[in-house]
Amino acid sequence: MTDSVIETSDLRKTYSDGGKALRGLTLQVPAGSIFGFLGKNGAGKTTTIKVLLGMTNPTSGDARVFGLPAFDRDASVAIRRRMGFVSEDKDLYDSMTVQEITRFTAGFYPKWRRDLEARYIDAFELPGRRKVKALSRGMRTKLALLLAFCRGADLLVLDEPMSGLDPAVNEDVLQALVRHVADEGATVFFSSHQLADIDQIADHVAVIDRGRAIVSGSLDDIRDRYRRIQMVFENDAPSISFRTPDVIRTRRDGRMLTVFASGGANAIAEEARALNAVSVDITPLTLKEIFLESVNASVHAEN
Amino acid sequence: MVWYKSWLDTRWRFLIGLAALLMLACGVIVNYSVSASLLPGLANQPVDTSTTAGRMLADLIRLEQTYRGFVWGQWWREGMLQDATLLAVLLGSGSVISGSKGGLFTLSLPASRNEWLTARAATGLGEFFILAMVPSLVIPILSPLIGQHYSVIDVFAHGLCIFVASAVFYSLAFLLSTVFHDIWRPLLIAIAIACVIGYMEVTFQFNGLFKVMAGRHYFESGSLPWIGLTSSAALSVALLYGAAANVARKDF
Repeated sequence: MTDSVIETSDLRKTYSDGGKALRGLTLQVPAGSIFGFLGKNGAGKTTTIKVLLGMTNPTSGDARVFGLPAFDRDASVAIRRRMGFVSEDKDLYDSMTVQEITRFTAGFYPKWRRDLEARYIDAFELPGRRKVKALSRGMRTKLALLLAFCRGADLLVLDEPMSGLDPAVNEDVLQALVRHVADEGATVFFSSHQLADIDQIADHVAVIDRGRAIVSGSLDDIRDRYRRIQMVFENDAPSISFRTPDVIRTRRDGRMLTVFASGGANAIAEEARALNAVSVDITPLTLKEIFLESVNASVHAEN
Repeated sequence: MVWYKSWLDTRWRFLIGLAALLMLACGVIVNYSVSASLLPGLANQPVDTSTTAGRMLADLIRLEQTYRGFVWGQWWREGMLQDATLLAVLLGSGSVISGSKGGLFTLSLPASRNEWLTARAATGLGEFFILAMVPSLVIPILSPLIGQHYSVIDVFAHGLCIFVASAVFYSLAFLLSTVFHDIWRPLLIAIAIACVIGYMEVTFQFNGLFKVMAGRHYFESGSLPWIGLTSSAALSVALLYGAAANVARKDF
């Protein structure tokens, strides 16, 4: 039994039109974690999820779920038997009623949880006889979550589950997710570009940009490591090339030099003091700042 | 559940097709009474067989001298030929796995693409087999009401010709449905191809799919057109294999 539920290594996907969705993605999702998978629109999040679900064949590299190769046909069925999935569009069968699609989905899963089904039908106030196409976006999301939760899945893969939800429903869904994970102990792989949601519930994150993971690790560790070092000089800030490899980005603005670093903040501060900085401040970064600075640095490096 | 989903996807097309064919089969019985009263007068009229229309009329009058000939001309050669082609294409269109409307949900369930495709192909073919056989049984059942007899064996033999040859159009629509995500393009393209084949068979007088479907060989000689049936079945298998190969390599 591997400690990582999902592992990808140098995963690449080039579509037939030449578009490169994944360019060497390497990821490890620890068992039991709530893993936030962050990225801008078009960064490669949905393609990664489709590869993990066996919907898309990678061009090269490796992707394993529960230690099984995701793109092997037989293994993919075994993976999906232990996995719950909610797609970005909450893609369900419109012509079925809530009861029908629940019964239909249950038929695929020997471990289907009738107790959870009853609980979530009640908690989400889902109208059993209403057609799926007549459900509001919020209701549809809740139904999709119910269908994912009740499978008795060891892994929940949620692709932008909160997109298009109002704040009240967003909060309901987040709470339900956290409660479910706490009670049932599943691993959650949760793609989003809504940083507040990830910040609220995730314990591990990866930031993906242009098909590559540019930040990855436990959220606590990332928060501990990422720092903004702000230096003020007597005259115009000098153009410095810092020795530490952890510098993500530097920004010069008159007498002020701001450095964003993924570690080694003290070493950077020492270097700055050696250059006669008048003041040096080290402050932690929010997840939003980490995301934005990392993505901007990635774009910069690419160009 | 995979089979249940395939049934849900095709049931209305199948049930509407079944009801329509049952009514049309009853219409053949009713028509015979009218036709039989007109035939004695027509049979004595001279027909100019130098034109295509004249030849067709002469053929029709000759066929309708017997009840078996009337049923073949009205039902197997005309009604079923066109209706079965249309129903085959209708049932074959709209693949179970597509990138739109529930497709990702389907693909996230623990069943392989092959299972979905096999269930969908087999369900549609099973329904089409029923459509090719069952409504036609109305004819031997109701014929005694108008003082006639029609053989059940003829129903099964002609039904087999209709089923096997039309299955090519079913398989063609099925293959096209793995290329296009909507139901309309596979439907329209397959119908267009059927029209072209039909036109060419009439214009160039060769034995093609529609000749096999019409079962003239069986009607005239009493033996099934095995070469045509085997070729049609092989073509259907090749088209279905193409559909499976297309879905297997496809990215959703």
